Amino acid sequence: MTKLIFERPIIQQINAGLPSKYGMSHKLEPISHIDNVSIKSLIESYGSPLFIISESTIRKTYKNAFRAFSSRYPKVQFAWSYKTNYLNAVCNVFHQEGSWAEVVSGFEYDKALKNGVPGDLIIFNGPDKSREDLAKSIKNSSLIHIDHFDELYEIISLTKEIEVKPKVAIRVNMDTGIYPRWDRFGFNYENGEAWDALNRIMANKKLDLLGLHTHIGTYMMSTDAYKIAASKLAELAVRLQQKHGHVLQYIDMGGGFASKNTLKGAYYPGTDTTPSFDDFAEAITSALMSSEIKPDNLPLLILENGRALIDDAGYLAGSVLANKRLADGRRATIIDAGVNILFTAFWYEHDIRPVEPVSEQTEDTTIYGPLCMNIDVIRGNIMFPLLKKGDQYVIKRVGAYNNTQWLQFISMRPNVVLLDANGKPHLIRKNETLETINSQELTPEHLKNFDL
Amino acid sequence: MLKIKKNIAISDSGFVFDPGTGDSYTLNPTGLEIIQLIKSGKSYEEILQEMSAKYEMDGESFERYFYDFTSMLKQMRLTENHGED
Ligand SMILES: Cc1ncc(COP(=O)(O)O)c(C=O)c1O
Repeated sequence: MTKLIFERPIIQQINAGLPSKYGMSHKLEPISHIDNVSIKSLIESYGSPLFIISESTIRKTYKNAFRAFSSRYPKVQFAWSYKTNYLNAVCNVFHQEGSWAEVVSGFEYDKALKNGVPGDLIIFNGPDKSREDLAKSIKNSSLIHIDHFDELYEIISLTKEIEVKPKVAIRVNMDTGIYPRWDRFGFNYENGEAWDALNRIMANKKLDLLGLHTHIGTYMMSTDAYKIAASKLAELAVRLQQKHGHVLQYIDMGGGFASKNTLKGAYYPGTDTTPSFDDFAEAITSALMSSEIKPDNLPLLILENGRALIDDAGYLAGSVLANKRLADGRRATIIDAGVNILFTAFWYEHDIRPVEPVSEQTEDTTIYGPLCMNIDVIRGNIMFPLLKKGDQYVIKRVGAYNNTQWLQFISMRPNVVLLDANGKPHLIRKNETLETINSQELTPEHLKNFDL
Repeated sequence: MLKIKKNIAISDSGFVFDPGTGDSYTLNPTGLEIIQLIKSGKSYEEILQEMSAKYEMDGESFERYFYDFTSMLKQMRLTENHGED
């Protein structure tokens, strides 16, 4: 006789009158496969923990976003926000789909060039552009989005040394009715600073003013804020035409659309509350179309979305290290991925699932990472089934910002694999090893030896 | 030896009611089996024997789960508070 599978015994209190948070059952469906590839087999081949990125999901999400805009507006261009995920393979999927590159440092700029993005299709944003960075991007005819007056004058001074006319836009910050207001980047709209900057550029004549840029915030849930922002940029474009007879080639609305992740403390899950690409597209394009900009002069609409385009495509899979009971009797499950590789655990209540079917019984559990630090909490309170040591988990929607903000701390950053359209896994970033870390270190001669 | 309080009602479906506090609980099937074995006065060794005859499991994990489970029963005050008085 074959024996039955043993399931660990559990007892759980029933809290009458306390419905679950979303009025839904707690049952967490296991996720055993991504794009028909077994997570278990991927962990066997590439180790635990492991980032898994779905190429099909990236392409599907991109096409969906592009269609939302291009079906409403004649000229649309996306530029991939490198900081959101600058693994070369990921960037190149976006470039194959037609995205330009949006970068915010000399390092990201060079990465985009090395990936083969033509210099004139790189948008250079951010407050940190060195004189060398600026010189290089002027020579490459890249689109320089000026952040402050010091940068404007640096560019003007470079025109004395470089023959090529710099292609510029200014970044504009403004009140869109949302809080916090991002007023530390670019020139302010309401106090007239942006208009002042535009006039100085026009007066100078050595710069080619191509566009206007804004990026109003990140994880934005309000489509109205985009409508307001687009109207304000359109208004500046109209004034430029009226006063200087200058027609702008593009308006860049930045990124910031929320992904479907659930923010910490949110009452409803992000899957229910996040506006769709169509909602955002409707707000932005209707504002531009109904502005005073002449139909013949409608500018190219550029978008720099990051998280909304890549979050869904990324997964983090791994194994349970241990279970314990906290002093108050609550369960703690320790997994092999900490906040150092899942930075977004600080913002999101990540959707974490068992890989294999386990008991339907769930228990109030805190999920900790493996770091020796109190802040290493992946989920504070989650009704979670009881996974045994060695059982596997998978965390959804981790594609944005984790592969760029992760920290090497205590242990090594793990492998990243990309599943191609046929489900074939490709290692796209090797896990670090002791050698990777040591190769960056230099030990002075007098510290090479010791006697203990 | 561990004893479940006499007044605790345990149904065949795994529903547990403590008339002393008004609290109710649910058990999963293995939890129910084990609590019934404890109730019938079996020792840990006897329970281990019965369970390993029926289930695919190793004694070491069973021991861990068993003591984790019984510590929950104690915490929920479903056991006689022997040793404490
Ligand atoms: C200028 C700029 N563009 C685009 C992005 C991408 O933002 P998100 O991931 O919120 O879409 C950022 C992120 O901070 C940014 O600073």
